[in-house]
Amino acid sequence: MSLELQLLLLAWGTLVGLDLVSVPQAMIARPLVAGPIAGAILGDVATGLQLGVLFELFQYDILPMGATRYPEYGPATVAAVSAAHAATGTLGLGLGALVGLITAMAGGLSLHALRQLNTRAVRRAAAALEAGDPRVLERLHAAGILRDAVRAAVVTAFGLLLAQVVRAYLAGTLPPHGVALLNVAAVGAALAAGTAGTLRLVGRGPSLRWFAAGVVGGTVVAWLR
Amino acid sequence: MSPPLTRARPGLVRSLLRLFTVQGSWNYERMQGLGIGVAEEPLLRNLRAEGGDDGVAYRAAVARGAHFFNAHPYLCGLAVGAAARAEHDGVPPEQVERLRTALCGPLGSLGDRLVWAGWLPLTSGLALIAVALGLGLPAIVAFVVVYNVGHVALRWWALRAGWRYGAQVAQALREPLLQRATALSGPAMALVVGAALPLVAQYLSSAFFGWARVALAGVVAGGCGLLWWQRARLTGVRLGLALLAVGALAGWLWP
Repeated sequence: MSLELQLLLLAWGTLVGLDLVSVPQAMIARPLVAGPIAGAILGDVATGLQLGVLFELFQYDILPMGATRYPEYGPATVAAVSAAHAATGTLGLGLGALVGLITAMAGGLSLHALRQLNTRAVRRAAAALEAGDPRVLERLHAAGILRDAVRAAVVTAFGLLLAQVVRAYLAGTLPPHGVALLNVAAVGAALAAGTAGTLRLVGRGPSLRWFAAGVVGGTVVAWLR
Repeated sequence: MSPPLTRARPGLVRSLLRLFTVQGSWNYERMQGLGIGVAEEPLLRNLRAEGGDDGVAYRAAVARGAHFFNAHPYLCGLAVGAAARAEHDGVPPEQVERLRTALCGPLGSLGDRLVWAGWLPLTSGLALIAVALGLGLPAIVAFVVVYNVGHVALRWWALRAGWRYGAQVAQALREPLLQRATALSGPAMALVVGAALPLVAQYLSSAFFGWARVALAGVVAGGCGLLWWQRARLTGVRLGLALLAVGALAGWLWP
């Protein structure tokens, strides 16, 4: 993969990472968007769509409320698409999922670190904030956004590097059965996470009946196709 | 007294634009407080000229605006507009602080139900169905556009409603359209995501044959059961990594 493509993926991953919390929360951070665009950058929309769908299911496992800690799937999906694209015909989904899930965990940890850095900056500027200085307030806020951009770039770079390392040391070492097992594990985990996460959202109230009706309807359509 | 809505429009637009960055400096001490303060500041600029007290009222209001706040980011505008309006209306500072504190819980809960557990999974579920049915990239573009029509409309409504009602902002939360949308979003999301799951399963497993399909069914059932049973400890990402490790190990051992 050329350096230009890697840099484009890095830029896209940074935008995606910024969108998750800081600016503008337009949901380009959703794997369903991050994946296909990464695929389009690489000229492989199909792989981008597949991994976008896969990680979108993992995303259903998360409710991003308040100070909760959660994995970051946007830059992770970009890295996953990079791994799977370069390994087309060997590992595909399984390798992409492995790279993506590790990157997602790293992204979650980096969010916690960023919030701690922001907290320290706010404490240092407490006196100026209490004096109502709008310039200090705006500077602190802009610095927080800049920190998040750097964080998102670092997480994406880590994911892209991991994709290269895993591809170099893992691709080609697994027999065909192993490749299939890795793919089954990736898709199975994603479907389990998506189903369990949705059931937690739906709860035991009246929405559960609507969920069951949806599953039946979707199954019928899938069977008829 | 507060300026009328038409005179406040430039401030409202600036405030809306800043609201898109409301979580940019999220921290464990004031949470969204700084972002709220930055978004509120354009609406407080009139206070600089009022009273001729060298901007004391303005600075005090800016300082209050940056205090602790945490709610759903799309509905923060309601608190921004209401607090700014209350400052213009001469509401006592302690009452403005109480208003902000009182809004955190309801705005967080409403936004979580309406957006995180409603509009977002609903539109994303529709996009999943469209991708599984073979619509490809246009489905993704449609998702981004449709989702953000609702997103931007909600942010704009929240800011305007906060500015209109001021300290009486609780009235805005009782608007029938908002109540109906909250009531409908849960069942609609459940129906759509429920329909998406089997279609996505078919889409992702289209390359699997024979034993792989049986194994997939077992992994999904077992994984779902584990996630439900151990929901306090086990997350999707941990389950995924564990299954991938088991899959890789079994793959190497398989003759």
